Amino acid sequence: MVISPLRRKVLRDLRRLGAQALAIALVLAAGVATLILGNGALDALTETRARYYADSRFADVFADLTRAPIALIDEIELIDGVLQAEGRIVKVGLLDLPAMAEPGSVLFVSLPGEGGLNRLHLRRGRMPDPLSADEVVVSEGFADARGLGPGDRLPVLMNGQRRELRLTGTAFSPEFIYALGPGDIMPDPRRFGIVWMPRHGLESAFDLRGSVSSVVAKLVPGANEAAVIEKIDRLLAPYGGAGAEGREDQVSHAFLDAEIKQLGAMVKVLPPIFLLVAAMLVNMTLMRLVALEREQIGLLKAIGYGSRAIAMHYVEFVLAIALAGIAIGLVAGAWLGAGMAQMYARFFSFPFLVFSRDPQVYGLAAVVTLGAAVAGAVRAARSVVALPPAVAMTPPAPVAYRRNGGWLRRLLGLRQTGLMVARHLWRWPLRTGSSVLGIAMAVAILVASLWSFGSIEHMIHVTFGRSERHDAQIVFGDPLPASAAFDARTLPGVMVVEPFRAVTARLSHRNLSRKLTIIGKPPEPHLSRTVAPDLRPMAMPEAGLILSEALAEALDVRPGDLVEVEVLEGPRPVLVLPVSGLSVGYVGLSVAMDIGALNRIMREGAMISGVNLQLDPALQSDFYAAARETPRTGFVGVRELTVNRFRETLADNITIMVTVYVALAGIIAVGVVYNSARIALSEQGRELASLRVLGFTRSEVAGILYRELAAVVLIAQPLGWLIGYAIAQAMVAAFSSDLYRVSLVIGREVFAVASLAVLAAALVSAALIRGRINRLDMIEVLKTRE
Amino acid sequence: MRGPPARTGPVFRVKALSKTYRSGLLEVHALRCVDFEAAQGEFVVILGPSGSGKSTFLNIVGGLDRASSGEVWFKDHQLTAASEAELTRYRRDHVGFVFQFYNLVPSLTARENVQLVTEIAHNPMPVDDALALVGLSERRDHFPAQLSGGEQQRVAIARAIAKQPEVLLCDEPTGALDSRTGIRVLEALTEVNRAVGATTLVITHNAAIRDIADRVVRFADGRIAEESRNAARKTPAEVSW
Ligand SMILES: Nc1ncnc2c1ncn2[C@@H]1O[C@H](COP(=O)(O)OP(=O)(O)O)[C@@H](O)[C@H]1O
Ligand SMILES: [Mg+2]
Repeated sequence: MVISPLRRKVLRDLRRLGAQALAIALVLAAGVATLILGNGALDALTETRARYYADSRFADVFADLTRAPIALIDEIELIDGVLQAEGRIVKVGLLDLPAMAEPGSVLFVSLPGEGGLNRLHLRRGRMPDPLSADEVVVSEGFADARGLGPGDRLPVLMNGQRRELRLTGTAFSPEFIYALGPGDIMPDPRRFGIVWMPRHGLESAFDLRGSVSSVVAKLVPGANEAAVIEKIDRLLAPYGGAGAEGREDQVSHAFLDAEIKQLGAMVKVLPPIFLLVAAMLVNMTLMRLVALEREQIGLLKAIGYGSRAIAMHYVEFVLAIALAGIAIGLVAGAWLGAGMAQMYARFFSFPFLVFSRDPQVYGLAAVVTLGAAVAGAVRAARSVVALPPAVAMTPPAPVAYRRNGGWLRRLLGLRQTGLMVARHLWRWPLRTGSSVLGIAMAVAILVASLWSFGSIEHMIHVTFGRSERHDAQIVFGDPLPASAAFDARTLPGVMVVEPFRAVTARLSHRNLSRKLTIIGKPPEPHLSRTVAPDLRPMAMPEAGLILSEALAEALDVRPGDLVEVEVLEGPRPVLVLPVSGLSVGYVGLSVAMDIGALNRIMREGAMISGVNLQLDPALQSDFYAAARETPRTGFVGVRELTVNRFRETLADNITIMVTVYVALAGIIAVGVVYNSARIALSEQGRELASLRVLGFTRSEVAGILYRELAAVVLIAQPLGWLIGYAIAQAMVAAFSSDLYRVSLVIGREVFAVASLAVLAAALVSAALIRGRINRLDMIEVLKTRE
Repeated sequence: MRGPPARTGPVFRVKALSKTYRSGLLEVHALRCVDFEAAQGEFVVILGPSGSGKSTFLNIVGGLDRASSGEVWFKDHQLTAASEAELTRYRRDHVGFVFQFYNLVPSLTARENVQLVTEIAHNPMPVDDALALVGLSERRDHFPAQLSGGEQQRVAIARAIAKQPEVLLCDEPTGALDSRTGIRVLEALTEVNRAVGATTLVITHNAAIRDIADRVVRFADGRIAEESRNAARKTPAEVSW
């Protein structure tokens, strides 16, 4: 094969400018990788979820109730739009593992029937014998975390009674992909598991013979979900129905959705940044290459090469770099994608993960990247075409510098070398601007990822330091008379008891409504406090409600507005209450009111749903053991464990994410600084060598170049902070949902760390270029005219 | 007119200086065993055909390049034994250079180009005096690109002498100029040589220049082929070009 001379020149240029080309290729690769990673993970999650939901016949509507005869299911199935309905028994129980000091809970769920909904996917062992009273399968995550397997025994407290269950296997369920235990804000498979058992065992344990406590329904495609929910609610109301909800409110589904939404935001933000920076680098580098090669271009034109062919030659040079970037990016993206899938597998309980290596994603990434690279090459290619051969062969017109800003010079006390730097930067504003923007992007990426640490600490501080200050919480199986608080006081280690009442209700304002739990608290709570936006604890108003800011937003209400409250349990009163104040809260929607007022509304006497406790640390394990023994205990929550789990999980995920982001920002910073340095050196090599002749030392000469880089890097910092702040704000908006509300807390240290990391990357690039400065040939520049 | 110099010891002493360039198998003997001395304030013109080793000689004497063998002394500094940093120091403190292509910094004005050097010099003359010496006072705020070749070269001379160097080394300073401009540049050089008292070595192709020198050295094939001393120096204006 004959390689045309121009093609051969492409190869030589690539070799000569190898490091620069590599730097650009790496930035492109980062774009490709994030594109593949983000889109791949997004596809994987969406696909996996869709397939799993379909395979397991995941229900569309979910409803909890106190107790209803099983025959009611037939009536539900008759509702227009309902394809299939299934009644179940779902109850919370306690783990009774002797080796486990801290309390754990389980959710008992009756096994779906033959052809039923929310089918289990058996991972290990076999399904329980339908006639057996103690055979169960448990959720795979829980079994895994506790080292349980088929044949093992599982001691539990069911409805206050100790039972020893036998594991026949482990399983996954579409209902518990994200398995959040009661009172938790992060899944903790060590302390919470799902236990599926044949329904007759549950019937007898929970006194629910011939009854159900939960209904799930699958809808006919295209059915009107809201209408169905309304009809189900009407049917279930006499049986203590707590309000049916669609998938979007089902906990596991909602959390998955939030994750998918976050990923979608990442896919929109990150890759464009890389592609933009890469395009700017291509532009800078190629413009310089064309300027250096004017004479060659003129010569080529003079001997008959067409403008197009020559322009194509430079585009080919860029395409070669882009292809290298794409190749690296594809490999990195696939590799990171596999890692990401593993992270998901750990966090979400899927029986399988469809990590589609969708060629479309790869193709799209390649095309977009090529597009960005070529877009960067356009200006240079156009200037090649526009260059008349005669002009090209004469030396370039001398660069016109201007004297201005004398006052600024005097202000900065610039020496002549400083003046050189300033004039040089000022002479090519577009290029200087590109470099500044590129570095700023690196800073921005860091700011936009690093702030999450501080925000999480802030959220933990507000949630657990200011607001939920109790050490433990006991939730009763059913509401008890207020005197139960005194019983709790007698448990070992209990120092302070604070009762609360929890009532499920639907809050509505105009056409907006949310189903949630109203928490009744003492007028001046000490342990579980409601905290105002200024972080001061709030007293409970006599009659009104305190809504979390997120809820107020969701219902579009302000203090003073009235909301309709439809209680979904007990006597199911419906009334209108004023919004008395707003509180902060980051996880879920919350509403609080005075416990006395709530009890008056409920007309059931002074009842409490549980107690918050302050414990003597020395007696903690005694307390747990005793609390477990108490028959009315529904479950026990431990603040410390909740906080630790929260921190651990987020720290894990965020550490991985931040590591990736720091690497990506480093690639941008090194790529931009190194390319700027090489271009500056190529332009000023002659001047710098002349200065060496005049007796400037190597350090002084390097200093001139470094000052130019430093100016660019420094100017970029505040801009990077600003852009980073804007990205963070956009992320907060994208991440916020009914489930999470993220507080944007960016401490000064975030900006400092982001800047330091980018400065470090800049220093690395500066060090890389030092050898070239030291080798500047003094004698060569004396022999030739520029 | 100043009488024959050598009031003190020689400024330069060059003994058996050789320089060999090696590129692959090829060896180029640029300098072969050159001996040379120059006295304080002397104005030496170096002639010789292209490729005879003149630039190589000047570069080594100016501390820009290294010898292959032999010794070069500047006063009591042995340049041939100096480190890279010491050579830089030497250039900075003692040497003024003028080159064929001026090598001005394009982003600095005439005045700023001169200041570039005075800022790092021990005992510089006022920048405006240096420019006045080469007759460029009115154009001091122009950038190199706004000056003619001759004017640029005079800026280069001003830059070279502003630090009051002990030696002034000029490699074909008129090479890129037409003859009338060349005369003005040479006038500037002799003027400076007189005013500053710097030992001046000037490489040129122009044989007519010999009359303005104290001494003329002719290089051929890497050796000093001929040396002659002028009893009386002419001014550049007296020379017929
Ligand atoms: N860097 C170099 N590498 C190889 N040969 C060189 C180099 N520099 C100069 N030469 C050779 O050394 C000889 C002397 O060169 P030079 O001193 O520049 O001559 P002149 O200045 O008298 O024209 C020439 O033959 C030249 O080709
Ligand atoms: Mg020469």
